Amino acid sequence: MSLYPVFARPRSLDQAGEVLGSLSSGAMIIAGGQEVMPSVNYGMLMPEVYVDIGQVKELRGITEADGAIHIGALTVHRDVQDSDVTRSQVPLLAYAAAQVGGGWQVHNRGTIGGNIVSMHPLYDIVPSLLALDAEVDVLKDGTVDRVSLSDLMKDASHGLGSEALLVRVVIKPMPSGAGWAYEKLKITAGGYGSANAAAIVAMDGDKIASLRLVVGAVSELPQDLSQVLSNCFGQVWSDSLASALEAKVCDAISNPLSDHQGDGNWRKAMAGVVARRAVAAAIAKAR
Amino acid sequence: MEDMLEDTVLVNLRINGKPHELEIPPHTSLLDLLRDDLNLTGTHMGCMTGHCGACTVSIDGRVAKSCITLAATLGRAKITTIEGLTKEDGTLSAVQHAFWDEAGFQCAFCAPGMLLCTSELLEGNPDPTDEDIEKALAGNLCRCTGYQSIRRAVKAAIASNKQAAE
Amino acid sequence: MGEAVYTNDFNFPGQLHAHVLRSPHAAAKIKSVDVSGAEKVSGVVRVMEGAEAAELLNPIPHYIDPAVFGGRSAKIRCLAKDHVWCFGQPVAVVVAEDKRTARYAASRIVVDYEVTTPVIDPEEAVKDGAPKVVPDWDANMIMQVPFANGDADAAFEAADRVIKTDVKVHRFSTQPIETRTYNAVYDAGTESVTLYGTVQNPHPLRNVLSKILRMPENKIRIHAPVIGGAFGMKMHGHPEEGLMCLLSKVTKRPVKWVEDREECLLIGAREQVHSVELAVKDDGTILGLRDHYIANTGAPSACPGWGMAFLTGLTMPGPYAVTDLDVMLSAVVTNKPSWNASRGYGKEVTALALELSIEHAARELGIDPVDIRMKNFIAKDQFPYDSPTGLIYDSGDYAGVLEKALEAVGYEDWKAQQAQARKEGRYIGIGIGYELTPEGGTLPGTMVAGYDSSSVRVGPDGSVRVLTGVTTPGSGNPTGIAQIVADELGVPLDSIEVVQGDTTTCPYGFGNSSGRSTIVGGGSAAKAAQEVRAKIIKVAAALLQAKDEDVTMVNGVISSKGGASIDLEEVCYACYTRAYDVASVIEPPLEATATFKPGLVRHTPNEKGQINPYPSYSNAAYVAISEVDVDTGQVKLLKFSAAHDCGKVINPILVEGQACGAIMFGIGGAMSENIEFDANGRQLTKNFMDYVMPRIGDMPHVALAHHDSPNPVTYMGLKGAGEAGVGGSAAAVVNSVNNALSSFGVMMTELPLTAPRVWAAIQEAKKSAGSQREGA
Repeated sequence: MSLYPVFARPRSLDQAGEVLGSLSSGAMIIAGGQEVMPSVNYGMLMPEVYVDIGQVKELRGITEADGAIHIGALTVHRDVQDSDVTRSQVPLLAYAAAQVGGGWQVHNRGTIGGNIVSMHPLYDIVPSLLALDAEVDVLKDGTVDRVSLSDLMKDASHGLGSEALLVRVVIKPMPSGAGWAYEKLKITAGGYGSANAAAIVAMDGDKIASLRLVVGAVSELPQDLSQVLSNCFGQVWSDSLASALEAKVCDAISNPLSDHQGDGNWRKAMAGVVARRAVAAAIAKAR
Repeated sequence: MEDMLEDTVLVNLRINGKPHELEIPPHTSLLDLLRDDLNLTGTHMGCMTGHCGACTVSIDGRVAKSCITLAATLGRAKITTIEGLTKEDGTLSAVQHAFWDEAGFQCAFCAPGMLLCTSELLEGNPDPTDEDIEKALAGNLCRCTGYQSIRRAVKAAIASNKQAAE
Repeated sequence: MGEAVYTNDFNFPGQLHAHVLRSPHAAAKIKSVDVSGAEKVSGVVRVMEGAEAAELLNPIPHYIDPAVFGGRSAKIRCLAKDHVWCFGQPVAVVVAEDKRTARYAASRIVVDYEVTTPVIDPEEAVKDGAPKVVPDWDANMIMQVPFANGDADAAFEAADRVIKTDVKVHRFSTQPIETRTYNAVYDAGTESVTLYGTVQNPHPLRNVLSKILRMPENKIRIHAPVIGGAFGMKMHGHPEEGLMCLLSKVTKRPVKWVEDREECLLIGAREQVHSVELAVKDDGTILGLRDHYIANTGAPSACPGWGMAFLTGLTMPGPYAVTDLDVMLSAVVTNKPSWNASRGYGKEVTALALELSIEHAARELGIDPVDIRMKNFIAKDQFPYDSPTGLIYDSGDYAGVLEKALEAVGYEDWKAQQAQARKEGRYIGIGIGYELTPEGGTLPGTMVAGYDSSSVRVGPDGSVRVLTGVTTPGSGNPTGIAQIVADELGVPLDSIEVVQGDTTTCPYGFGNSSGRSTIVGGGSAAKAAQEVRAKIIKVAAALLQAKDEDVTMVNGVISSKGGASIDLEEVCYACYTRAYDVASVIEPPLEATATFKPGLVRHTPNEKGQINPYPSYSNAAYVAISEVDVDTGQVKLLKFSAAHDCGKVINPILVEGQACGAIMFGIGGAMSENIEFDANGRQLTKNFMDYVMPRIGDMPHVALAHHDSPNPVTYMGLKGAGEAGVGGSAAAVVNSVNNALSSFGVMMTELPLTAPRVWAAIQEAKKSAGSQREGA
C-alpha cells in the first residue's frame, strides 16, 4: 500500500525481466488497465510500483510463425476480433473476443494477456483458448518458457504473480473443415455471462470424429470436458445424444459458482445448455 | 534497476489537437488528468469502474474509458475529448447536431460515451445496422431516455452523413 | 450544444476534498474512534468523527417528518454517534488536499465496534423480542396506517371467490449516472456559506441547513447547477449536505465531496411485501380488496424515501372502481441502509401489487386479462372521482387508454403470433400493466409543496429571463417552461433564458418532485408572462397609437390592426426609458412574479380524516410482449407499447423521453436491478456489474400513444409526465412472462424475474405437474 507509487517503463523484454526480477510483491504490471484500475480507483489496490509494459515491443502484434499463430500479450480484443489472421485461422477466438463485455471502449484497451492472467472465472477468452489447445510464453527469471495454457489454468490461486510476465499466446490454426462455436449465455447486455461453452468439432460424414469442449463461467476456472464426452465420437448427432451430452456436462460441474449471475443449481444446468447449443452449432458449421 | 523507477512520469499528449507536455504522478487516471489538471470537464465521472461510459474519450482514434486508463501509460497518445468534437469555429459535428435535433439526451451526463462511440461507429461504417449500433454503444449507460431517442439520433446522424456524401 | 456545467465541474481556489468513512456493520455499538492515524497522513487537513460533529451540528430535520403524521421520528445525525444502525452509515470524515489522500487517510481511522445482531427481514423486525433498530423506540415501526373504506368483510362474504397473491417487490433504486456531489464554500468575511450541489429542492434544503448549521437562512445560499439525473435520489436529508458546509466553515476552505458508485448504491427504495386478496365474482367483478403490506424502509433517514410506503396504500385501488377496502401499511425499520425518494414514489408498487393480482385473478377465473380490467375500471363519466382513500381523481378515460395501448402494440396480431409460436415450441407472452400516478403532490406541514412561483423579466433589449422556483433533474422542463413563456408572451423561443436552482436569484420555490415542475413552474411562468405581456402591449399601443385590444404580438413582432408594426426591442426600450412619456401607462420594470397553485388539493381532512394531496392524476397503460427461453429462463422483450394520459402534451418529444426513461426503470426493476445483502446485513451490490441496469440492447422499441383528458384544474390541462412508467411497465413485463409460461402453470409474483428464478419456477412447475400426473 503506497500513497506515492513509482513507475517503471521497460522498453524491451530483457528490461522488463530485469525490472520484474528486482521488485518485491508490491509491484503491479499494467498494460490496458481495464482489470487493475477499478480496484486502484476504489483504494483496494495501492501498488508501490507500476510496471508499464506498454513499450515492450516483443509483446505486440499478431504474426504467423512455424505453422502457429503468435498473439502478443498486449494485443487488444478489438484487434483479435478484426485481424485477418485470427479471423481466418482461429475464427473461434476472433468470435469469442468480440463477446467480451464493456463495449468498444474495453475492446479497444483490454488485452488478451490481461484477460488471461486475471484468471477471472467469468471472462470470455480462456475457454476458446483451451479448446484450441493454446500455449503461452512466460518470462520468468530471465528466460521465456512455453507452457500449455491448461497447465497455467490448473488452479485459480496459481496465476502468474508479479514476477512473471505473459509474453504471447501461441495457437495452432484450426483444422480446415472443423466446426466451431462459442455459446455465451448473457442474460442482460450489461451483465457478465452466466455460462459459456467453446466447441470445436470435426465430422466424419454425419458422425462426430472429434470434439473439444470447454465450459466457462460456471466454476472457478473454465473446465475442459472433452475427455468426459469422448463417448460422443463415432456417433450421429441426435436429440438423444444432445440430451445425454447435456446431462454429462451438468454432472461434470461438481462445484458450480453461485454469485450475482445466479445460484449453483442454475449454473450447473446452464453449463449443460450452453454445451449442447455450442456443440450443435459447431456441428452445423462443420464440413 | 533503481534508475528505471520514476516518481513522476513525463507524457506528451496531443489533446484535441493541442500538445501538452505533462509531468504527472504515476497513479493518475486519464479522467483525473483531463478534469482536474486540464479543466476539460466535459468528460464525466459516473462509476470509476469502467461500466457506465460517461468518462469516454478517444485515444489514437479509438474510444476508451478514461477512468480505467492510467495516464502515465499513454506516452505520446492523441486524445479527443467531447470538447474536441466541436469544431474550432464552434460549429457542431454531424453527430452532435443529430443528438441536439432529436433530443437524444435529457440530462446529457452520458454524452461523452454516446457521442464519441457514435462518431467512431460512423467513421468506420457509414451504414450501420441496428445491431451495429447496439454493439458500438454497449459500453454506455443512459438513465434518462430508455435509449429510444439515442437510437433516433444515431439514425439521424447516419442520414445526414449520407446526405452530405451525395 | 451549450456546454452543461455540473456540480463536480466547479472547483475553487484552495479546494479541499472529503472522504466519508462508513460502517462495515449493519448494527454495532461504537466503543471508540481513533482518528490519529488519519491525522498523521501528509495532506490531511481535518478529520472529524461523530462525537465532535454532534456538538457542532444539530440533527437533520426530516423532509417529511413521520411525527407530523403520528409516526415515530428518529434523531438523524450527520455522523453516527455511539452506535450504527446500517451498513454504510457515515462514521467519520477526512478532509485532505486531494481525494486520493482523503480516501487513504480514512482507512487509517480505527473504529472499535461492538457488533450486535442486526434485523434485516421486515417480518422478523415486527416480532416480539426483535433487536431494536432505534434504541429508544418501542417497536421497529415508523407507523401503521389503515386505508379502509366501506365494508370489506361484507365484500369478501359476498364474493364467489377470493384470489390471494403474494407480491414481493425487491430493493431497487434510481442510480442516476451523475452521483451526488456537494461543494461547500464558506466566506469568513460575510460568515455565509454557499453550497454547490446536486440538489433537487434548493430552497427547502436551505431551510434544513439553517437548522443543522445553526445559521439564519439568509447566510446560506444553495446553487444547484445542471443535474445529471436525479429521479428522487437528490432530494435532501443526506448527511453529507450539512457535513460539507460545516467542514468548509471549520477549515475556512472550499470542501468538495463526490459520492462514489458504491456509496450511491447504498440508497434503497421500494422494498415491500404485499399479500393481496381480491374478493371477486365469477364474472370478474372485483368487490373488495384486502392488502396488509409491509415496507422495509431500512434505517431511519431524514430523506423523504419512507413516504413512498405511505403513497402505495393511499393510491389503492388505482384505476379500479373498488370501494370496499381493507388496506394496512406497516412501515418498518430494519438495519438495511435507508431509502430515498425514487421515481414512482410508491405508486409503482401499488401498480405492481394490483396488476399482478388482477392477472392472477384473470387466470384463475378464466377471463381475458383485458376484459377483467375493462370490467373494473372507473368509467370516464365518473370523474371527478372520490377514491375510497380520500383522493379526488381529476379526470380520465382508463378504458380508452388501454385500448390505445393494445392498438399500439398490435394486440390481436401478437395473439396470433403467440399461438403460432407455441406450436413451434416457443413461449411468447403478452402482459398488460395499468397505473395511476398522481403528480404534483403536496403534504401539509412539510416542504412538499403543491404550488410554485416564477418571475418573468424582459430587458430593454427584449430578451427574456424566467426565474423559477422549480428545478430540473435533467428532464427538459426548462425547455417546456421556455416554450410556455414564448407562447404566452409571443416571442421567439431562443430569446428566452430559464434560470433555476439558485436560492439568491430565484423566487422561493420547492424544486422538482412528484412530476410537478412543468405543471407549477410552467403555470406560474405563464401567469407572470401574461402580466408582462399586458405591459408591453399597453406601451406598444401607445407607440402605435392604437387601442390595446387591437395590438398583437407574435414571435417578437408587434402589430396593430391598422397594419403598423414595431419591433419588440423598440417597445421594451421605450418601457424602460420613457417612463414619463409613452410608457407612463405602465409601472416599470417589465417584470412580474406569479404563483401557480393548482386546485383539487384538499388538506383539510374530510369526515373520515382523509386528505387529497394531489391536483393531478396521470395514468397510463403498458403492454409488453416477451419471449421466454424455457431452457435458461432468459426473458427477451420483443415489443412494448404505452398509452399515456398526462393531460395536455406541451412537447411530445419531451414526454416521449420521460415515458421511455421510466419504462426502462420498470423493465430494469422487473428483470435485473437488485440491491442484495448477506445474512448480516452487509450490502453485496457494489458496482454496475452487480446492479445490472438496461443497456441499449436490452430495450425494445416503445410504441407510444397519447390519450389526453385534460386536467380541469391545472394550467392548460397539464397533468405531469415524470412519474408514470415504472410500475405499470414492470407489471406488464412480469405479466407477460407469466402469460408466456401459463401452460406450465407458472405465476411468479416475486421480483425481479431473473433468469435463474424464471428457470427455477419452470422446473418447479414441471415437477409438480409430474407428481400430479403420478398421483393421478
